[in-house]
Amino acid sequence: MTDDCQVTRRTALGALGALGVVAAGGFVMGTPATARAQVLGLNESVQDTMKRLFGDRPIRDGEALVKVDFPPIAENGSVVPISVTVDSPMTPASYVKNIYIVADKNRIPFVTRVTLAPEAGRAFMGANIRLGETGDLRAIVEQSDGTLLAVKREVKVTVGGCGG
Amino acid sequence: MADSDKVRLRLPSTIKSGDIVQVRALVLHPMERVERDAQGRIIQKNYNYVNKVIVTYLGKTILTFDTSQGVAENPFFSFTFRATAPGPLKVEFLDTTGGRFERTADIKFS
Repeated sequence: MTDDCQVTRRTALGALGALGVVAAGGFVMGTPATARAQVLGLNESVQDTMKRLFGDRPIRDGEALVKVDFPPIAENGSVVPISVTVDSPMTPASYVKNIYIVADKNRIPFVTRVTLAPEAGRAFMGANIRLGETGDLRAIVEQSDGTLLAVKREVKVTVGGCGG
Repeated sequence: MADSDKVRLRLPSTIKSGDIVQVRALVLHPMERVERDAQGRIIQKNYNYVNKVIVTYLGKTILTFDTSQGVAENPFFSFTFRATAPGPLKVEFLDTTGGRFERTADIKFS
């Protein structure tokens, strides 16, 4: 009888412990994702986005090195194919560290940040993005020495893709 | 949670050692947009969208995308890597609800 009781208590405690682990797991999985989202994609003006991402660092014109393939007219703003290629040797000494895509007229201007390692071989990224309305689309390239290069193009949007 | 049915990878049919290979990756995902109420205020909730893509080759992370809701539904990404040795190339998509979708391609030289 006494033995039975102890076993029951142990089982109960074990079950409680397992519950705790499950709860903690859920917490760990949910929180960083949300926190990351809050850090990068905010509902704000493009000036605020640029200030938040780059502070007061000087941004140079990148027309010579950065080749962007943005469509001049996007018929459907929900799916806009873009790609960016940067002329870079991609060696450990000199490579492109980040490529940012920022859409001026989107309510959340930050679209994506690509972080590259020299093993990528070529500083290239492609993605399908959303555009809310006609406006400038920027690609900002951060090189391994910290230099920032920016290129922007106007993309005309016939049907917006951000809803609401 | 790893759901590989939803991820598609496309690679060239032949890869030679030292090539810079372009990969196209797609995940089937709703990428929820920001919703607003009648007054135009944003409805606060945990929107379900992919916010991280991680590309690993031979066990080393070579590329990551941090994304916002500004990426289209069923997100498509392309990128390159330098094929230095045969081995696995893994593409992992993480979303804001803890979902994880991944697929691994085995890089072989011909």
